[in-house]
Order: sequence, then C-alpha cells, then structure tokens
Amino acid sequence: MKLRAERRVSHKWTALLLLGAVLAQAEIRVQCPGDTDGDAVVDQPISGRQIKCMHLSAGDGFANMADGKLQYIFSFANLTGTPVGDAMMAGMLAAEFPAPLITLKEGEEFYLTVTNVGMTRRPDLFDGHSVHFHGFPNASAVFDGVPDASAVPVMAASFTYYYNIVEPGTYMYHCHVEATEHMQMGMLGNLYVQPKQNDLADGTILGAHVHRNPDGAGPLGDRYVYNDGDGSTRYDVEFPIQMSSFDPAFHEASLQVQPLPFAMMRDKYAMLNGRGYPDTINPSPIPNSETGGFGQKMNSRVSAVRGQKILLRLSNLSVTAFFTLTSSGLPMKVVGTGARLLRGPDGKDLYYETNSVTLGGGEAADVIVDSSSLQPGTYFLYTSNLNFLSNDGEDFGGMMTEVVIQ
Amino acid sequence: MKPLAIVVFALFAVSMNAGVCEAAIQGRTGTEFDLVARAGHITTGDGDSILMWGYAVGNGLMQYPGPTLIVNEGDLITVRLKNELSEPVSIIFPGQDGVLAIGGNSGLLTREAPPDGATVVTYTFVASQPGTYMYHSGTRVDFQVEMGLTGALIVRPSSGANRAYSHPQTSFDREYLFVLSEIDPTIHELVELGRRSEVDMSRYFPVLWFLNGRTSPDTMADDGAPWLPHQPYGCLPRLHPGEIILTRVIGGGRDLHPFHPHGNHLRIIGENGRLLESAPGAGPDLSYSDFTLTVVPGSTYDALFTWTGEKLGWDIYGHGPGDPLQPNEYAPDHGKPLPVQLPEKQNLMFGNHYSGSPFLGAFGDLPPGTGGMNASGGLFFMWHSHTEKEIVNNDIFPGGMMTMLIVEPPAVRIP
Repeated sequence: MKLRAERRVSHKWTALLLLGAVLAQAEIRVQCPGDTDGDAVVDQPISGRQIKCMHLSAGDGFANMADGKLQYIFSFANLTGTPVGDAMMAGMLAAEFPAPLITLKEGEEFYLTVTNVGMTRRPDLFDGHSVHFHGFPNASAVFDGVPDASAVPVMAASFTYYYNIVEPGTYMYHCHVEATEHMQMGMLGNLYVQPKQNDLADGTILGAHVHRNPDGAGPLGDRYVYNDGDGSTRYDVEFPIQMSSFDPAFHEASLQVQPLPFAMMRDKYAMLNGRGYPDTINPSPIPNSETGGFGQKMNSRVSAVRGQKILLRLSNLSVTAFFTLTSSGLPMKVVGTGARLLRGPDGKDLYYETNSVTLGGGEAADVIVDSSSLQPGTYFLYTSNLNFLSNDGEDFGGMMTEVVIQ
Repeated sequence: MKPLAIVVFALFAVSMNAGVCEAAIQGRTGTEFDLVARAGHITTGDGDSILMWGYAVGNGLMQYPGPTLIVNEGDLITVRLKNELSEPVSIIFPGQDGVLAIGGNSGLLTREAPPDGATVVTYTFVASQPGTYMYHSGTRVDFQVEMGLTGALIVRPSSGANRAYSHPQTSFDREYLFVLSEIDPTIHELVELGRRSEVDMSRYFPVLWFLNGRTSPDTMADDGAPWLPHQPYGCLPRLHPGEIILTRVIGGGRDLHPFHPHGNHLRIIGENGRLLESAPGAGPDLSYSDFTLTVVPGSTYDALFTWTGEKLGWDIYGHGPGDPLQPNEYAPDHGKPLPVQLPEKQNLMFGNHYSGSPFLGAFGDLPPGTGGMNASGGLFFMWHSHTEKEIVNNDIFPGGMMTMLIVEPPAVRIP
C-alpha cells in the first residue's frame, strides 16, 4: 500500500508539471452565492433563494469490475466541501463510477461547478469536459454541455453551470465532450429532482389523499415522485439505479494510448450503479486495485419494510444497448418516464403495471413497487438480456441486484 | 476530432454560407408515382463510398432513402415499379389496408418486378388514414432493406393544412422527417464484388448510422446538396421560439434507437399512423412527453416539439429591463442577468456552432477559427441517437445518427 501511495503522488506531481503551462493562465473558480470560502457549500443563505451548489472534478481514475478486472475510467468526483485551492490535488485520479449522485429539489437554483483536472494517465490528451443535464426542459445551449454548441473548460479551469430547477423527475447527467469516448469511459451519473408537493403543510388535502408533513422539511412527511395532486406517486423509500456497460477492450485501448474501437465497441460488463453482481449488493465503497481510492461508492441494494412503497428511479446510460430490467415477482407500477408524470394533457392517468421495464441509453422511468403484498424475503431485480448476467468471461453476476423485504 | 471530420465539417460550412434550407419535408406529392429500383453509391462521413440499391423516381438517380411519398388522406394512390437490379424486388406498404398488386410475378409477400428493367408492377391503395408510414421491399426483406430499398410515406389529413392528424391539437408550424437506419458495409462490399451468395445476414454488424440516409455531419447539409446526389434529404430542424414543429420519426432499419432531442421534451401524439387518443375525435389525450424516444424498427412516431427558453431564471435574449419583449418570450425572466460569469476565453474550448454568446441572436468574442457554423446567433441543440456508439462513422467520431436543431432568433427567416 505504501508503494502504491507513493506512486500515486508521483503521478500527480508529474501531471501537475505537465499542466504547469496551462495553470499559469487557467483559473479554478467556484461560483456559489452565499459561499464565502470557495468550497461550494453555502455558508450564508440568501433570503428568498434556495441555492444548491456542487463542485465536481472531471478527470480520470480506475474502477474494478465484479470479476476483479481493473478498468481505466474517466469520470467526475465530488469536490463539494473541498477548499478550492485543493481542488486539483483532490480531483486528480479520483474519478468515481458512477459519477457522484446529484439530488435536487424543485425551486432550487443549482450552481454546478466543474473543474477539469486533466487525465493524469493520458497526458497526451487535452480534452475538455462538460456536464450535460440530460432532459433539462427548455434548456439553454450554453449550459447544455454539448461542446459543439457551447464552450467547455480546458484542463485546470472551471466552468459553473446554472440551472433553475422547475420540473421534478428522474434525469441523468454525463459529459458530452467526445461523447462516445467519454461516456464509454464512465462519465455517467444519477440525477433526480424532488417535487414541491413534498413541502405542503401537514393535512393538505390531495384528492383522496391527506398529505402528512409533521416535521416540516424533515424525514417523516410524505414524499412523491411528481406534483400529482392526488398522492398517487407517494413512496416511502427511493433508490436511484442507473444501468451502464463497459467494453474492456475500449478501456484497455484508452489506457495504452491505442486507437479506440468506436463502431466495433462490444460491451462485456453490464452494471447497475457502476457495479456488477454481487458487488451491487456490497454496502461499502469499493477501492480500486490501482490507486486504492474508493471510487465506486454506490451500491444498488434495495431494502424496505413490508408495506412500504419503493421508488426505483431507473435510468440507462449505456452507450451500446437497450436493457430490460425484470424482477422475480415485484409488482411494478410505472408512474413517470423522461422526468414527466405519465399523464395525458387533459390529466388522464397513463400509469401502467408491469413486470419489466425496457430502457435505451438516455431513457428513464419512475417505478413504484408496493411491497404490501410481498412476503418478507429476498427478490431479484435483473436484466432479462440474459447474456448480460455475467461479468465478462465470468458466467455469473452482471446486471442484477437484490431487493430485500423485511 | 479526426482530421477527416474537420475536412467534412469545413465542407459543410461552405455549403451553409451558400445554401438554402427548406423547412418543409422534401418529397414527391401526387397520387401516381413511377419508381425504378436501381443501384448507386452513397458517401459516408468517414469518406467511404458504398453501393446501395434504392428506389429512384423515373429516370432519376437511385436515392437513399427512397423518395418520400407525400399524399392526401382518401386519395387513391398508384405506385408503378420497374426493376433494373439483379434480382426480383417489390414494394410493401406497412399500415396501408387493401393494397392491390398487379403485374410482374407472384412473390411471398406481394407481386414482384423481375430484374428486366421493363416489367411494371402496379400497387394501388387508398390512403385512408393520415399519419407517418414507411414503404420498403417485400422481397428478401432482411437483405433488400439493408441494401436501401426503403422510404417514407406521409399521409396528410383532409381536415386541414399543417396538421399531423385531423384533430386541431395536432397542428404544427413546421415539420421535419427523421428516418433512422443503419448498415453493415461488408454486405454491400460483397454485393459490389459479385459475391452476393456469400452474404450472411446472421453476421450483421452495423457500423454506419443514418438520419434520412445521411451520416453526420452531412445530415446538416442542405436538401439536394450537389455532392450528395444519391442522398437528397437533409435533416436540420429549425424553429423560432414558441413555434411548434412536428417531428415524424421512422425506425427504418433493424435496430432500436433511443432518439434524444436536446433542448426540450418531445410530446408523442401518434404512433404507427394512429393518433394517441382514447376515442375517435378525442384528440391526443393519450399523448405523453419524454426526453428520449424509443424508436422501434418498423414503427413510426409523430411528436410535437417547441422551445421558448422559459423559466431559465435569466433572460435568454440578454435584454436589459427596459428592452421590449421578443415574440413568445417568457416575460417573468425578462431583463434578468446571467447568474454566473463565464470563464475567460483562455479557460475554454469553443464549439463551432457556438456564437460566442449565451444569448439568442447575439454574438460574442471568439478565438480565431471558431464559431464558423453559427451564422445567425441561433442556439444549437444536438438531436441524436443516445446509443452513443451510433454517433460515429465507422470508427471515426463524430458522425452517424446525429444532427442539430437550431433555435433561430425571431428576426431570422426560416424558409
């Protein structure tokens, strides 16, 4: 471990030297109203405004697949709370897979700063990085993250995106620079927005439902997927679950500075929240075997007490495949797709019950599982693209997780 | 970006300066169509030239996709087919009832035109239901559609212009077509080399992806661009703020594609030539919104899209408080400043579709050599397959099933 740590530091200093010329001009800067010290944490709230800030680094790192194979990745890491002067050192080689979870509330103003820390293991690359808030309604081009249609930060520079959050639902985010490459490399994350209906006063009548909110914004009140007006999207526990997949040949080619197989891409690792089964149910962050950093922080183990309503915020950011998630007997009700309540324009209910959900890349669905009819025990949520119940050559695992009902 | 892609983009820039864009869907209107199946070569963004079979109009060039047939609800449609290829071909019209085929030889799905260049097969049907459809070969469908024998059919409602269906809630200001398809060039190479018998469709592995028969960046070139004689249909949707565009999307190949419109959601009002309504005359009360559309092979989708930039929390036009409102501007954000400072130029990499300004209709200071593809100060939004391996041309990024939607400033004329 000591050797590893030393090597990591030496790589970082190498990279810093390489970046030296850029650093002389570039600027790392966090923009966050109410933050007095540049760590993207609001220190002095501004009256009448709900401001949420985050600071992400964008760079490289490593992740281990469920069969143990090491994969070189690009992704984001969470620098929120890190002093801005430490951002480069904290962000380099720290990529997380999936990228850090972003949770927002309707009504918030979201200031998202991205600092491009460069790809330490690919000093030949001078790529920019961006954030595409996928599905953001009535988007502007400048904050859309598409490098062709906007501007993106160079290495050792920051860009602050501004999003006025007005539509609840399950979104996702990813880098849009050299999208095929950067997304295959892992720059993918969960993002969702909770509705204002959660904040209604205790006892508010919503159709046949009486909203409970005994503790203000605390944990005891009712929570909903959307502003449904009738409580029909109420849930007790929520789990963001993002599908993704890796082609190990692509990641190896990237690390070895070889031509990248774009059209020839063939994904072999199908994952939920950046892990294959059985890592999906491991509650702990997983360290990678190269740097020892804990970049795989999310599991996708679903647990609930019988009777609770479970919200699965499903999304797919695979760059190669549609995936179907099915279950061993969980009653699924789809109440939203694409960050919109499933209702017709005149309010007609389009919810449907199912045992499987199929999503392509860039698609999302809000699924409520009512566990009141379930016997306590362990259920499985897994892909019915059965060849992907594997971790590359390991004929076991893949895109699967457990749903535990107590 | 690879050097070749830069060259292609540069060509596109030249065309944009000289070109005329068309907002209407290009195609052939009328009730009688004379099509000839013949061969020709298309070009792709990786610089390749690929043998295709396609439907040509009369003595015209083979084209991919075939001519978009634009007809009116209730009309009796006649399509006559001759065949200059090397094996029998035909046409079937999925979604049309009571298609009558006369002439030629009997085939598995319909009557076929033998490869003699002379025999005529005549297909007739009444276009009874408005909507978006496709037509394609009904002979060796797996192989011949791959070779390019496919096209779009649009049936306009009799109730009024600029509607997708009869109901007024399907009205639009502009409409655009998106035929999504993909090919495996090895199949086409075998045909070209006279090794047709060695084609094995079970080994199909596409590496080229198309919108309206073009790979990006050619998708953004004009309709009828002279350097794409066999690929006449562009795919560059444009609108002014507040306008409604109808997007007619066709799954024209054999794979599913998640089609992602940047900028705003689509509201899907029709599928497979039927309005999403609970009862006749109800209007699109079963329509739904999504930020990515699952496009299934053989299926069609009619979706409405609009954009105003509302509720951004800042004025997308960059107005001061005293400036007049633009048409369809979201008034509560009027005069609100951009909430963040954009980094200095030396901290940024600039896209060629970026005007240098975050504001609609404005230009900013750009480094030399950037921004050349934004002539109007419009906002560009990428529309593409979100299976991101499909936005490449073989192994060259970017390309493939990708284009841009342009939100144009109100003063810019869209033809």
